[in-house]
Amino acid sequence: MVLTNDVVLPEESELTVEEVNLSTATLRAGSFHLGKYCEKANNEFMLCRIEEQDPRKCINEGKVVTACTLDFFRKVKKACVAEFNQYANCLDKSSGDFGLQHCRKTQGVFDKCMLENLNLERPPFGYFCEARVHDTKRPKPAVEEKAVYPDATPTLPDDAERKPARFGSRLYWMTE
Amino acid sequence: MAEACQIARKQDLPPPGGYKPIPFKRLPAKQYFSGYAMFAGYAGMTLVSIYLYNLTCKKITKNEIEMRSAKMAIYPMLLAERDREYLKQLRRNRDAEAELMRDVPGWEVGTYYGERVYKLLPPDALVEPIFHEYYAHSSPTEWFKRAYIKLQS
Repeated sequence: MVLTNDVVLPEESELTVEEVNLSTATLRAGSFHLGKYCEKANNEFMLCRIEEQDPRKCINEGKVVTACTLDFFRKVKKACVAEFNQYANCLDKSSGDFGLQHCRKTQGVFDKCMLENLNLERPPFGYFCEARVHDTKRPKPAVEEKAVYPDATPTLPDDAERKPARFGSRLYWMTE
Repeated sequence: MAEACQIARKQDLPPPGGYKPIPFKRLPAKQYFSGYAMFAGYAGMTLVSIYLYNLTCKKITKNEIEMRSAKMAIYPMLLAERDREYLKQLRRNRDAEAELMRDVPGWEVGTYYGERVYKLLPPDALVEPIFHEYYAHSSPTEWFKRAYIKLQS
C-alpha cells in the first residue's frame, strides 16, 4: 500500500546472486572461523546497514558478504571436509539448541586441521560479542538537523534563575 | 419401698478405683527447632546453595556468551540474504497491487486514490510495510507460519 511507483526498488536481476545453501548446524560449526575470515566484509555490511537504515543502499556490501561466505566454505571443503562434517554432525545430534559445550573433542580436531591447512586460528569465545571498530571509505550519511521555527514559543534564557524542586523528585509518583 | 433398694440392679457406676484425673493443663505443640536453630539452618542452607550455584554459574555464562558469539558471526550473512529476498517480495507486492487495481478508476499504486499515505516524507522514501501488508497477496498460511514460527521450531 505504501510502495508507490516513485519508490525505487532494485531489479530482480540485481538481487539474484548465488546463495549459501547450508543448514544451521553447518553454519554454527563454521561460525567462528567464518567470522574471522570474513570479518572485513561483515563489519562493512553491518556498518552500512546500521548507518543508512535502508536495505536498498547496502546490496553490494551484502553480495560481498555472501561471496566471502561461499569462498570460505569452498576452502573448508577442499581442506578439512571430514573433520568439519564430523563436527557439524556432533553439534546437530548432541543437543536441542546446537550447544557448543558438548562437542569439545571434535572441535579440537577441527581447529587443529584449520590451523594447519588454512592457517586460521579460532578467535576467543567472546570475540564476536565485543564492539568492533571499523574504518571505511564510505562517507557517513548526513544527520537530519533539528528544525528551528522562527515563531516558536520562547523558552527561558539560559542564565535565568532555576530553583530546586519544591517537593523533591516527582518520580515517586511515577506510575500514577 | 425399702425392699426395692435391696435388689441388686445393674447401675451405671464409676469404674472400680474411681475415675482417672482429667488432664486440664495446656499441651503446647512440640518444637523440633528453636528460633535460633531455624535462623541458623536457613543461613546454612543459603550459603551452601550459593557455593554450589557459583561452581557452575561461571561455566553457564561462558557457554551463553559463546553461543551468542557464534550467532553474531553468522548474522550478517543471514541478514544480507534476507534483505535480498525482502526487496524481491516488495517488488512482487507492488506488481500484484498494480495488477489487482488495474481497472479501478482513480487508483494509483501505493496511494489512496491518489492521496499519498505519508505526506511529510520525500516521495522516494522506503517505508517498510507492516506485517499483514507484506503478506497481503499471499495465502493466510504463510503469515501464520511466520507469526507462530516459534511453535514450529
